[in-house]
Amino acid sequence: MRRSYLLILILVLVSPIFGVIGADIVGYHEPLDVAAEMIGLGESEPVWSGIFPDYTVPGVPDVIGYVISGLVGVGVLLLPAVLRGRRD
Amino acid sequence: MHIPDGFLSPLVALSLYVISLIVVAYSGRRYFREGGDIYYLSVMAAGIFAAQMLNWPIPGGTSAHLVGGALDGVLLGPFGGCLAMFMNLLVRCILMGDGGITALGANAFNMAVVDVFLGYLIYKVAMRMSGGRKFLSGFLAGWLAIAAAAVACGVEIGLSPQFGYPLSVTVPVMGAWHLALGLVEGLATGFIVSRVGGVGE
Repeated sequence: MRRSYLLILILVLVSPIFGVIGADIVGYHEPLDVAAEMIGLGESEPVWSGIFPDYTVPGVPDVIGYVISGLVGVGVLLLPAVLRGRRD
Repeated sequence: MHIPDGFLSPLVALSLYVISLIVVAYSGRRYFREGGDIYYLSVMAAGIFAAQMLNWPIPGGTSAHLVGGALDGVLLGPFGGCLAMFMNLLVRCILMGDGGITALGANAFNMAVVDVFLGYLIYKVAMRMSGGRKFLSGFLAGWLAIAAAAVACGVEIGLSPQFGYPLSVTVPVMGAWHLALGLVEGLATGFIVSRVGGVGE
């Protein structure tokens, strides 16, 4: 059980190598966003942009913002497991 | 694959909200009635969320990351898988704005319903036909179910006049693209399933 928590933590900590740094190198854009821009939908504002818009924290470098948003996301999802523990 | 706000017609968005909520509610009933534990939903949802953060960049400005619906379905069963995937999509939508809040029903239909249930079904059929080869069965489940989810996504945006292209464009483009990208999904699913084993194995 502790091992799965540790694995999840490691995944989040290394994730900016792929999700931010690697994405910058190849000039990543979400394919559906590219399609939207092509047909002029790009300007439409999202109804809700989230607390961490596109995995960023306002005013914080992208790499750190990505990790923070990842940790919060994982933390929220893990809450039931941590609070309740395993039944069997 | 996460559809943003503004792509779907209100009718498409609303219909898929209704369908997805019914399937999620029914899955919740079945999963907990059959003795399912929220612990596994929580750990799987968090684990797949973390794995999804590893966005593999692909030269040309795109990337591939695990969706994990088929994997959830094979490891937790279709009902638990649907719940874990829905938790994941809900957190992404509310916290990161990844997937529009008006498109949550559609995204849940594609990734928590089609990907999970079809992935589970393909795994079961492939296991029977291949005489229990877990890697192969997991590979086929991850690969084909994500392509089917992409086709569903193509149908939804193709049916919405807000998105300027007709079905004859959106369906083949989404389907073909994810048949290619889905190979990664298939390999990851096959690898994990061959190590851990599906539900009840």
